[in-house]
Amino acid sequence: MPSPSSMVYYVFHPNELRSIIQWKVWHNPVHERNEEKETENLKRCFFFLDLTSRSFAAVIKELHPELLVPVALFYLILRGLDTVEDDMTIPLEKKEPVLRDFHNILDQEGWNFKENGPNEKDRQLLVEFNVVIEEFKQIKPAYRDIIKDITKRMGNGMADYANNAEHNTNGVNTIKDYELYCHYVAGLVGEGLTRLFVEGGLANEVLLQKPDLMESMGQFLQQVNITRDIKEDLDDGRRFWPKEIWSKHVDEFEDLFKPENKQKALDASSEMILTALTRADDCLYYLAGLREQSVFNFCAIPQSMAIATLEKCFQNYDLFSKNVKISKGDACQLMIESSQNLQLVCEIFKRYARKIHKKNNPNDPNFLKISVTLGRIEQFIESIFPSQRPPVDNKSPASVEEAERKKKEDAEAKWDMIYMISAVMLTVGTISLFMLFVAWMAGARFDIAYYQMKEQLGELLGWGSSNVTKAVEVTSKIVEAVPAHTEL
Amino acid sequence: MSRPQTLASLGKVVVIGGCGFLGSHIVKYIVERHPQTQVAVIDLRTSSNRHASPTVSYHDGDITDFAGMTKLFSKIKPDGVIHTASPHFDLKPEIHDKVNVGGTKNLIKVAQDTGVKAFVYTSSASVILDATAELINADERWPIVTGAAQPEYYTTTKAYAETAVLEANRKPENFFTCAIRPAGIIGEGDVQILPKMVGAYRKGQTKFQIGENNNLFDFTYVGNVAHGHVLGLIALLQTQKMLPTTPLDSERVDGQAFFITNGEPVYFWDFARAVWHEAGDRLPLSSVWHLSADTAWAIGTVLEWAFWVLGKTPNLSRAQVRYSTMSKYHSISKARQRLGYEPIVSLGEGIRRGVQHILAQQEQESQKKGQ
Repeated sequence: MPSPSSMVYYVFHPNELRSIIQWKVWHNPVHERNEEKETENLKRCFFFLDLTSRSFAAVIKELHPELLVPVALFYLILRGLDTVEDDMTIPLEKKEPVLRDFHNILDQEGWNFKENGPNEKDRQLLVEFNVVIEEFKQIKPAYRDIIKDITKRMGNGMADYANNAEHNTNGVNTIKDYELYCHYVAGLVGEGLTRLFVEGGLANEVLLQKPDLMESMGQFLQQVNITRDIKEDLDDGRRFWPKEIWSKHVDEFEDLFKPENKQKALDASSEMILTALTRADDCLYYLAGLREQSVFNFCAIPQSMAIATLEKCFQNYDLFSKNVKISKGDACQLMIESSQNLQLVCEIFKRYARKIHKKNNPNDPNFLKISVTLGRIEQFIESIFPSQRPPVDNKSPASVEEAERKKKEDAEAKWDMIYMISAVMLTVGTISLFMLFVAWMAGARFDIAYYQMKEQLGELLGWGSSNVTKAVEVTSKIVEAVPAHTEL
Repeated sequence: MSRPQTLASLGKVVVIGGCGFLGSHIVKYIVERHPQTQVAVIDLRTSSNRHASPTVSYHDGDITDFAGMTKLFSKIKPDGVIHTASPHFDLKPEIHDKVNVGGTKNLIKVAQDTGVKAFVYTSSASVILDATAELINADERWPIVTGAAQPEYYTTTKAYAETAVLEANRKPENFFTCAIRPAGIIGEGDVQILPKMVGAYRKGQTKFQIGENNNLFDFTYVGNVAHGHVLGLIALLQTQKMLPTTPLDSERVDGQAFFITNGEPVYFWDFARAVWHEAGDRLPLSSVWHLSADTAWAIGTVLEWAFWVLGKTPNLSRAQVRYSTMSKYHSISKARQRLGYEPIVSLGEGIRRGVQHILAQQEQESQKKGQ
């Protein structure tokens, strides 16, 4: 049941309400999972998928049957890994071996983990992790290898961060560290998914030769989340905004939240947004390599949400006091547009790029860089969906001589035309005169014909024949009166 | 093959117009990047923008003087020529004919006669711009626009000269040519774009914006344009070395034209605001007045007539309205692929250097007046 405040909101935003209704009424999943054929074990896995992911569960469940289970399990495995990493109540010496060995755990039948603190929200997934392992055993070996490889690299990356005392007290230091962190938690996911798509024959294998693109897919989503979640993360005692960025504006991370530093905080946030935005054109490029509709939707919907979230966060001071979110109506609108084709997704990116552009503040230290980055997104879209084609070549003269020749030719052509028209007129005129002459010789009365023509024309124009005679009388009277005036 | 971009010497290179805005930056670029190159500058007057390096020599000369050019070239014996000379935009049509077309043809003939291997011509990105259409990610497939369809006679003559240069390619077979088409050059010594914009700031015109500001526009830092020219020259010299082998059609540089920009198309008014900010403007976005393009066009028309009666030029003209509300940007893919071009100075840095140069000059002038 919607809350009263949201009902008021939609009264004033009927377009958004319309989008919600449209999505709920008209959206047909590309594929639907067939619950009847699923084992109890697999059903339990999907239960955990719904439990642990709000945004991804819906798009995963619509995936092509070939990849539905592998991707769902991939998600649950990474979620499990993340739940171990996140939990600050687990001592490091216990945590590290689990993280580094997680890819082998996937082969240990019956493995589960009960050491999570009671407040860890996804605790139950690890308690029953044996169901995930059981299903993992059944998928194609090629998919298993990909998932294990990514799990191994991500687990080791997380363990390195968990070990890094400086990271734990001061957060992320440089932009490079920030991107490395995002690589471990998101860039690798991009790589794993791409390999699954290609293995399943649902994406162009060229994507594997462009590692920057799949990296950007993950980086963009992760960076948007980190940018948006600054307040929430602060409340949880974590900080992911790199010091290299915020220290340009304030001395201490906490200073970002002080009201007197409002402008500085906004400047720092626009640099975070800029850093994420530089990945946007890569994401569109990546989407162009997907072949199957459900895979396209799975990848495109989160990207569209991400750019809309960036727009919402841009020049928005609420970022530092609460969780900034796009409205449900906007989200539905984005889902409708992102589940069709690349051109519509490009339109979304262009629309939000221009919204960001409108808010760009000339006194922001990154004003021009933001503008250039938005321009690059627009130019990229033009390069795949050009709005202008090379114009027709009107064969402009290429030299002075040619220009003069052309001028001369044009002049000649003009005279040719004049001669031609004169010749035609002369011929037609001669023939007409000759015919009139023949008619006259045969006794035609042109004076009567002329009088009748005048009368008929008069009737046609609405004067009766009597009017014509009246007019003649009046005219003659005026003519008579004229000499009188001239005498004056 | 050694990486040609790091060659210490390009042989003997003549820079025509080497004391001008772009020409002097090309000389500076060659001295810095290819220090063992012998550079000979030919210009009408060689008193300004001189480079102190001993590898650079200066020669007064007029490109419309065929005999004089032949004499100079016979003495210098250049391997490569970069021809940047052009009269000022606002001069009379006869001068554009004489210098851009006549002068360039002279130079081609002289270069062919004296054994020059590579000839790079500075054209203009506007050679494809007509009086009405916008340019959206335009590339080298767009046809050139001259004659009646071309609103600027200057540009018509640049296009004629470009065609003449490209037609001279491989005539004789060891003479190679290409053309560089830069868009909106800015930087230290720029007399067209940045000084006008800084002037608008001084006059308090920064609180106006015409149109929606969704139009992307190309501006190019002069150092990047220099970089593009020298890459063109190097590619032509490489082609000459490869003889009798001919490069693939998709890799050819000789006989080709290339757009050179910063590769950073930017919303027109954002560029202006970045310039104004660098010059000291701190006007907040909320105080900007928005004028629709149609309204501005109407005002421009009225002003132009009124000022025409008075014999003056108005602050707002229809040409300005058009340029500030139209998209005009290019694809530089061809230069990237065939020349290995990549901008070396960002747009932001280009603006900073150009505007700081203007501010320093104004500072000097005001000090002189104060004395």
